[in-house]
Amino acid sequence: MILAVAGGKGGVGKTTLAYNVAAALDAVVVDADLGMADLPGGRGPDLHDVLAGEADPIETLRAGPVDVVPCGRTLAGARAADLRRLESAVASIERERGTVVLDCPAGRRADAGVPLAVADACLLVVSPRAFALADAIRTRALARELDAGLVGCAVNRVTEEPPTDAIADALGAPAAVVPADPRVGRSVAEERPVVDAAPDSAAAEAVRELARRVPR
Amino acid sequence: MDLTWDIDREGDASLVRCRVRNDDAVPRRVRIESRLGAPVLPPRRGGLPESGWDEAGVTLRLDPGERRALGFAARAPPTDPPVEIADVEAVDTTAESVSEEPIARDERAGSATAVALRRLGDHRPPRAATAGGADELNGASKAEREGSSNPTGDASPGESAVSDVDDDDTFDGGERDADPDDSPSASRGPTEWFDAVGTRLDAVEARIDRAERLTDADLAAATEAVAEADGVEELSGLDQRVAADATRLRELSERASALAARAAETEAPVEALEQLA
Repeated sequence: MILAVAGGKGGVGKTTLAYNVAAALDAVVVDADLGMADLPGGRGPDLHDVLAGEADPIETLRAGPVDVVPCGRTLAGARAADLRRLESAVASIERERGTVVLDCPAGRRADAGVPLAVADACLLVVSPRAFALADAIRTRALARELDAGLVGCAVNRVTEEPPTDAIADALGAPAAVVPADPRVGRSVAEERPVVDAAPDSAAAEAVRELARRVPR
Repeated sequence: MDLTWDIDREGDASLVRCRVRNDDAVPRRVRIESRLGAPVLPPRRGGLPESGWDEAGVTLRLDPGERRALGFAARAPPTDPPVEIADVEAVDTTAESVSEEPIARDERAGSATAVALRRLGDHRPPRAATAGGADELNGASKAEREGSSNPTGDASPGESAVSDVDDDDTFDGGERDADPDDSPSASRGPTEWFDAVGTRLDAVEARIDRAERLTDADLAAATEAVAEADGVEELSGLDQRVAADATRLRELSERASALAARAAETEAPVEALEQLA
């Protein structure tokens, strides 16, 4: 199972949710944001090297509370990355480890589209603000064209009651509300997924709810 | 079938532009081939050639009266004519409903990845952003400039002031690390400047390697080095540049160790401040 976590807009929490949903699914999370990697890096080979044809995808796996395939931080690496290699790279990680979560970049360029094309399903992250929703709807259309079925959407960092039904209607998938919780915000940097750090919190329940929607 | 063409020379490549028009009353499939002495470099997007192109030319389907403009490059001197119509065949319109346009056929046959790459914009940062390097990476850029790319220029007081501002930026970047959710690029700061410096030092190292190979070289080794550098003109000024490299590298090394010592001495109470905030 390959799940793409996308959202169109930057800064809505795609990386954070990809990391936490991967924890709930016991999956590997791949940092597919070639230009602005966010997941913890490492010293060894990374996704840039794989996409440049210089490393085997399996050797990039970095063990942790959630296993990560990190992405390089250089523009030269982003430039050398050949997206045609993504599909086979992700497929070999899936064969080895079962479930793979792809943390997608923002935007509607090829680097955002190819992970959706590679994925079996996608999860959209929106912030409760209207302008983020417009980007999510465009990403939804792109995912539909590229055959990545939408399993759900996450309304992230909610502080007051959001128009969940309107968002679910607009995107055509059930919406789960992830309340604003500093433990979620810190989870990636500290490598402590919220389902482990605070299993009884509302945020952890929302993440588990999203994970349950992912067919396996 | 009506074909006109135009050719330009750019460096060692020939750029060919053509226009082709189907002046028949029925749809035709036309094969246009290059007569240049090198493989065709077709138009590409995301590294994938456009549909219909191969090393020798392109195959197009043209409706009656349809006009199409195309272009390609080849690493070969111009010839006259650069292109020719190799084949024109009628399109079997009864089979058409099955085979459709070559583009549509390709997209269906190709993977979803190929579809995404053909249809979406290129994601890669422009070449200038990676080759220049200095402008997009803050704090490191000054050290880099001193290190290699501008061996003759002296660091002015103005540049030092810029560097101080950059130091503040770097600190902000580190501070934001705690919340990657809000700042997608925050965690890149600490390592990226080093990559850039590493790249610059690699360039300096390559230059020093070359100078080393020429030091006390016998005739064969020197010839080889000159051939590799595309002629002796390329080597002119190498000795001065390497001498300047030596000076700059020594300065850089002194400054780097001084900064490392200062960095090790600092103890910013970030956690305490966060608790107070």
